[in-house]
Amino acid sequence: MELLRNIFVTPFVDMVAAPDFLMQVVWEGLVSGVLYALIALGFVLIFRSSRIFNFAQGIMVVFAALTLVGLHEMGIPAWIAVAGTLGVMFALAWTVERVVLRPLVGQPDIILFMATIGITLFLIGFGETIFGGENKQMITAELGIPTGDFVLEPFGGLLILQHIDVTAVVVAGLLVVGLVAFLNYTRMGRAVRALGDDHQAALSVGISLQTIWVLVWFIAGVIALVTGIAWGSRAGVSFALEIIAYKALPVLMLGGLESITGAIVGGLLIGVLEKLFEIYWGAPLLGGNTESWFAFVLALTVLLFRPQGLFGEKIIERV
Amino acid sequence: MHRFTTLAVAASLALGPATSVLAQEIYAPNLAYRTGPFASTGIPLMDGQADYMTLLNDRDGGIGGVTVDFEECETGYSTEKGVECYERTKSDAIVTQPWSTGITLQVLPQTNTDQIPILAPGYGFSPMQDGRVFQWAFNPPASYWEGHSMIAQAISDGDLDNLAGKKIAFLHLDHPFGKEPIPLWEAMAAEHGFELLPIPVGIPQMQNQSAQWLQIRRERPDFVVMQGWGAMNATALQEAAKTRYPMDQFVGIWWAGHDADLKLLGEEGTGYRSISWSIPQPDAPIMADLQQYVIGAGKSQAEDVNSVFYQRGLVISMILAEAIRTAQEIHGVAEIDGPMLRDGLANLNITDERLAELGMTGMVAPFATACNNHTGSAGAWMLRWDGEKFVQDSDLLQGDADLIAPLVEAAAAKYAEDNAPWPVDETCDPQS
Amino acid sequence: MLYRIAGQFKTNYRADQALFPVSQDAWLLGLILICAWVAFPLTASEFTFQTLLIPILIYSLAALGLNILTGYAGQLSLGTGAFMGVGAYACYKLLTIFPWMNPVVAILLSGLFSAGIGVVFGIPSLRIKGFYLAIATLAAQFFLIWLFEKWAWLYNYNTSGAIQVPNVDMWGITIAGPLASSTTQYYVVLAIVTLITLLCINLTRGNLGRMWKATRDMDIAAELIGINLMKSKLMAFAVSSYIVGVAGALFVFLWRGAAEPNLFDITLSFQILFIAIIGGLGSILGNYLGAILIVGLPVVLNSLPELLGVEIKSATLEHLNIMIIGSLIVFFLIVEPHGLARLWGLIREKLIKWPFPH
Repeated sequence: MELLRNIFVTPFVDMVAAPDFLMQVVWEGLVSGVLYALIALGFVLIFRSSRIFNFAQGIMVVFAALTLVGLHEMGIPAWIAVAGTLGVMFALAWTVERVVLRPLVGQPDIILFMATIGITLFLIGFGETIFGGENKQMITAELGIPTGDFVLEPFGGLLILQHIDVTAVVVAGLLVVGLVAFLNYTRMGRAVRALGDDHQAALSVGISLQTIWVLVWFIAGVIALVTGIAWGSRAGVSFALEIIAYKALPVLMLGGLESITGAIVGGLLIGVLEKLFEIYWGAPLLGGNTESWFAFVLALTVLLFRPQGLFGEKIIERV
Repeated sequence: MHRFTTLAVAASLALGPATSVLAQEIYAPNLAYRTGPFASTGIPLMDGQADYMTLLNDRDGGIGGVTVDFEECETGYSTEKGVECYERTKSDAIVTQPWSTGITLQVLPQTNTDQIPILAPGYGFSPMQDGRVFQWAFNPPASYWEGHSMIAQAISDGDLDNLAGKKIAFLHLDHPFGKEPIPLWEAMAAEHGFELLPIPVGIPQMQNQSAQWLQIRRERPDFVVMQGWGAMNATALQEAAKTRYPMDQFVGIWWAGHDADLKLLGEEGTGYRSISWSIPQPDAPIMADLQQYVIGAGKSQAEDVNSVFYQRGLVISMILAEAIRTAQEIHGVAEIDGPMLRDGLANLNITDERLAELGMTGMVAPFATACNNHTGSAGAWMLRWDGEKFVQDSDLLQGDADLIAPLVEAAAAKYAEDNAPWPVDETCDPQS
Repeated sequence: MLYRIAGQFKTNYRADQALFPVSQDAWLLGLILICAWVAFPLTASEFTFQTLLIPILIYSLAALGLNILTGYAGQLSLGTGAFMGVGAYACYKLLTIFPWMNPVVAILLSGLFSAGIGVVFGIPSLRIKGFYLAIATLAAQFFLIWLFEKWAWLYNYNTSGAIQVPNVDMWGITIAGPLASSTTQYYVVLAIVTLITLLCINLTRGNLGRMWKATRDMDIAAELIGINLMKSKLMAFAVSSYIVGVAGALFVFLWRGAAEPNLFDITLSFQILFIAIIGGLGSILGNYLGAILIVGLPVVLNSLPELLGVEIKSATLEHLNIMIIGSLIVFFLIVEPHGLARLWGLIREKLIKWPFPH
């Protein structure tokens, strides 16, 4: 009885009793959710155009952020360092396409998936050789990202919104809008979508597979850089960030592997729900740290009802 | 066909065990971790350790006329790699420095049969203090339980009863290392009537602790005590600043007092305290020698030689070097082996005079080990971040031996029982 | 010449379908078994036992378990590490609750626990397919690790939260724990691995194995020809998790000697997946080849600078190691996506024809 009360009554009483705290929890959840969504977005783009489940997206985030900080440490002004990082990400995209993807065209999904894990390992070793393993500070101020916070007082309580987080949300929003515009209104973008719809048909109308793949991996690299800056300015840049990339997997599954909307909605949903669950149920009742598995179990539950994820394309199987 | 030949060659790489032949050298490997999520705290420590040994080799020609081969074997803080390193080095090594609680636990039983002492300065697990059970393991100059006992004294202004009715959050890594101090805190909470709130941080959440800090904001604990490591510390400190948790109520163990982590915060971190059994002394004579023989000679990789962690690395190597010297004196042999070093580690006597001779006055408190006290219980100081660097904030504190000794004895006895038949040194008197 | 099959006549179907239709295969296997049972133990050093022989066997077994599920039945799993953990913790509990139990029996029994949990997490496979199914095993991976950390009963309320292998005797010989000798441990592991491999070879050639392959190739088609998908998939999860669980128990009891929950994290799962894929999905031999490569390579790479007399910093060496392993994975996938086992198949094919390829 006591237990049922703790599960079904107390948490909601707590929520109502301290609405400002609830708002803070939801806000923190949204901010993590935005970052999960950004990582997932990189996955989705690559998956749509090449059916590759790109495990390396997480490490690309770290790699991009480290390159940026590393370039700046060499004395290059912040914004030129950003441009330089974009150049590095382009080189990476080109190399990956040339060295790894091209020889593996047409292989089973799992082989390509494995190949991206190989890329991940390579990037970890390569990144640590060049940049070292220390935790580095993101060049937040140099990039002109505001620090500090807004303090609001809803319901007579306290709600702290970090400028960095607000900026991250805004930039992520702009990025998504830009991306959707690119995919819908430019020639290149439409080619990317065509390739996602039907490889053979796209090839037959003269869309170059190679160019599009390089482009898509480059865009994923740009998204990785934005994610890296956003997350890095909250917690510093180090290879420990890579672990967070696992969170993008349930986001993807929940949203549906092909859907940009899915990645965003999935990310926000998981970010908020896992935070609420941890604070109101996990920590008091289960000993805490439920964030490590909640997202996966949630995604699994949703998939049981919708095997293609919330926004995924319906899977039609023919014999 | 060609590619088959190349592959066949690649696949048939012969199995070759590594053996190294050493002459007139003491082989003291270090299972370092300069890679992986914990590298940020590992690198300065390993630099300090290596530089001290380089100094001894280059300035004094080693210890007692024998040079020290201070080779590093990279573990990345992974237990699996650590065990591989242990196996790789154990044939010639006189000591194992596992550098992780996981690796320590794993190799501990084997050191008994391999007769190689473990040196785990300020880590490993606290019951190792009981030298009757843990004959081959040493964790000088202070154990985690002692450290947390000192933290409790510092936050209660010397009398733990002041904590009655208060709430203390124990923010820890969800890992054997992080959970180590919980029994001690539970014992203290029961005795002195304060509420303990353990808050675990999973390794995947190290860099995303907003849930933990939201919980802290809701529970409003009077103090937050942190048992953190690697990337967890920097994130915790930033979240604390973000959620406006008062920094002077936030205290960390010695591994959570890394200058670089606090430099990220700067002014905002003012007031944060960390217990430490070492204090950086930029003006100590040894620093000048290091500058001359090691850093000036371009043999150092260190970036900030006045940081707490770098200088702690120096102290750690000093402890090992002094143990080697003691062993050489006891046995009258220059080229000592593992069992001889054990005698050295069990009979360490680091006095103020000795520290002065070494040019390390004030870098660590004097201490002595014995067969029934493998920790030495040097005590530690509270350091406070003043916005730019750590400064000493308290006199030398001592762990509460009356509280800790029975816990150590019980935990050690349980370990021996679980691993029966486990050899216990009956010639040594119990501590309490 | 050596691999000539001319002159080996089969006069009935039974002989044609025997395990070794080509006698040289049997000879080769015999040779390998003699090496494993006699030659290696006589010559190996402690270091070789602990860093190569024992881990290669245990990892091969775990990969074999995964291969049954992913290679034969076509269900992707990213939770192998956690299922190994279930086996290890089950074995620990069995041996601490019933200290009189024969350790080999305990190890074999502990597989049943992971089989049970494997079936539970396998149920979603009836509805979820492809990459989406990975989420089910990932949920298992992260949830179980969390459980190992939180459920103090599992580690007998130890202060450290880690499990420590006690000394366990069987017929008067210590086979697990700090006092056990490497040679004994090696033989126990080898015996169990040989036994399970033999069972698996027969299992995958039999009715169940054919059901799995049909499910893998196209499950709807398999259903149409009358295969019970539920039985096929859940059996695959059960058998696979059983083997993985046994491998986990061996991993901790006969090799590591102690374990913290983190040991079974997702990197372990990936490592085993590497072995299975580099070795070859849907092959038994491949698991061994893959394990030799993935376990042996870092050890060889780490020893290399010393053997060559090159001074290299340990951290740099580790970075190089990771890079080389990453590149090799990509390299092998490009050269032969079907794995080392297929590579051996091709070499064997050539050997049979050699020296007259046409």
